[in-house]
Amino acid sequence: MNPMRQLGDSTVGRLPGAARWPLFLALVAMLPFLLSDVWIQMLFFVGLFIVLGLGLNVVVGFAGLLDLGYVAFFAAGAYSLGIMTSPGSPFDLDMNFWLVLPLGVLIAASFGVLLGLPVLPLRGDYLAIVTLGFGEIIRLFLVNREDVTAGSQGLSAIARPEIGSFQIETFTHWFYFILIAAVIVGFIASRLRDSRIGRAWEAIREDEDVAAAMGVNKVKYKLMAFAIGASVGGLGGVLYASFIGFINPAGFSLQVSIDVIAVVIIGGMGSTPGVILGSLVLIGFPRILQFKETADFLGKFEWLRDGLNGIVAAFDTVIPGSIGRLPAASEWGRELADDTRFIIFGALLVAIMVLRPEGLVPSRRRQLEFETEDLPVPAGGAA
Amino acid sequence: MAAGALSVRGLGMQFEGLSALADVSMEVPAGEIHGLIGPNGAGKTTFFNCLTGFYRPTAGELWLDAQRVDGLPTHVLSALGVSRTFQNIRLFANMTAIENVLVGSHIHIGVGGTDVLTARRPSKYAALERMLSLRGAPRAALQGVVELAGAVGRPPAVRRAEMEAVNTARTLLGAVGLAGKENALARNLPYGDQRRLEVARALATRPGLLLLDEPTAGMNPQESAAMVGLIRRIRDQFETTVVLIEHQMRVVMGVCERITVLDYGRKIAEGTPAEVQRDTRVIEAYLGTRAVKEAGDGSP
Repeated sequence: MNPMRQLGDSTVGRLPGAARWPLFLALVAMLPFLLSDVWIQMLFFVGLFIVLGLGLNVVVGFAGLLDLGYVAFFAAGAYSLGIMTSPGSPFDLDMNFWLVLPLGVLIAASFGVLLGLPVLPLRGDYLAIVTLGFGEIIRLFLVNREDVTAGSQGLSAIARPEIGSFQIETFTHWFYFILIAAVIVGFIASRLRDSRIGRAWEAIREDEDVAAAMGVNKVKYKLMAFAIGASVGGLGGVLYASFIGFINPAGFSLQVSIDVIAVVIIGGMGSTPGVILGSLVLIGFPRILQFKETADFLGKFEWLRDGLNGIVAAFDTVIPGSIGRLPAASEWGRELADDTRFIIFGALLVAIMVLRPEGLVPSRRRQLEFETEDLPVPAGGAA
Repeated sequence: MAAGALSVRGLGMQFEGLSALADVSMEVPAGEIHGLIGPNGAGKTTFFNCLTGFYRPTAGELWLDAQRVDGLPTHVLSALGVSRTFQNIRLFANMTAIENVLVGSHIHIGVGGTDVLTARRPSKYAALERMLSLRGAPRAALQGVVELAGAVGRPPAVRRAEMEAVNTARTLLGAVGLAGKENALARNLPYGDQRRLEVARALATRPGLLLLDEPTAGMNPQESAAMVGLIRRIRDQFETTVVLIEHQMRVVMGVCERITVLDYGRKIAEGTPAEVQRDTRVIEAYLGTRAVKEAGDGSP
């Protein structure tokens, strides 16, 4: 019926498509019964970046608009909640979480359109640079407009959601909350991908002039992509601010944009399983390295450290004092996560881009694109 | 579908110092297959680009049926019934054949088609006007939200429209001889199939005026003959007006009812294939002045 169906992401397993997602989600929903709080907290952040990744995926993966300022929308959502609910806010509105949630999403969406309007004629690199600047503008705004954002002091005691008398406060509650958000966003994204909107985005990604000649209103669909991506970013921001309870401008640096785009690209652009895996690898793994469990586990490798230090000591006898000693094995995870994290991640990024340029779990379509790269007669090759 | 009568009045296209088109006028009655020929660089593709809003003409008027259409944006022209193919094939390479055609059906699926309503000729200060006035914005935003809701909720009406579009797309692919290749990626299709897919995609917009830019370029004689047959069939079956740019004289003379000849951006001749073939200016443009003299002398 729908031709897009046949090209859907089909790399999760061998189960029939319809059964795959409910089963996966059921397994995920059982995790709080199996894991301790630190793990659930880690999974909240993984879930948060899945939400953000799915949102950015609409802009970058579907419509092909490289947006490096995604943090702006995340910040818009977070600060909407902060300003409207924190007692320390310059406005002291003290609003309810559930009221601000849609407002924050809407505000972020209008930021998306606001960014979209001036960049409509831009493509590729130029678009990336302007969106990068936009992200920085928002951050500087947060720092400097103390009368609106409370500046670098930040906003604390941000509202948490209540359902009747039930308060969402424990890690487990938040885990389920972000899970539901991710499912809703994932559902919306997949529905959009399989609609005429998704096709219009794809056509714009492929060749926007021809898309226009086929009746696609470029302006409308680009703005739509920006608005959808931004509102999901805003949603993520609202959830994050409420979960953390305290926000300041330092939390909304370029690094967030880079993390989200890395999640999308590492996982495989345009692919939902890819975003999930990308978030686990990029967001989950560094946190796992810092766990006490990890330290305990690595502590068993003290003999390896002794051995390695022995070798180092041997070198040291040749040129004394040339090399330092390895820290205690139990510290390895933390060291890796703190200092060497970016080196390791840089190497990992390069490795993935070389070995699997289409991402870890590519969308079926992207996979085809990469597989057929060398065919002799590409369409539009003469252009 | 539509009538698709084209009237071009004094069309000019100036790029800085270069005059690509100057004072070109022509009338193409509805349902005609009209040829556009001329040596390389004569301005033929520029002419198509003006007709489809890729360029905004610097002089003259374009009329489609009873409506003035020059200066309208590309997607609006498409909605009004102007569709085209490209000299250097420009398919959505990483989409399947049927998806390519479905993009062509875009405005005929669901809540679409409303874009035509905004077909107002912009003034000279259109860009400024657009920036300052937000008159259309609330309605456009509302439309967008409705469309998004339709795509996410997928109510029966949207589902039905989508299914109809898929059926139409299959029919169109069959009509151009691509039945059974619906799910092949456009980039993986052989060259001739890619050309035919472009035609199917252009037809999916339900054009009144179909512009074909060298539809037989790179084809062998058999394939060219098949394309000629296809063009005739399209005109009869889909009731469109066809304007085609073509270099192969056999194709031009075989399929076109009337021909316009461009040279250095100016119209130098117009008429039936037989008339154009005899026209001295045409021979001169193609073969040079000596050829004309020799033809006049009757010597070899």
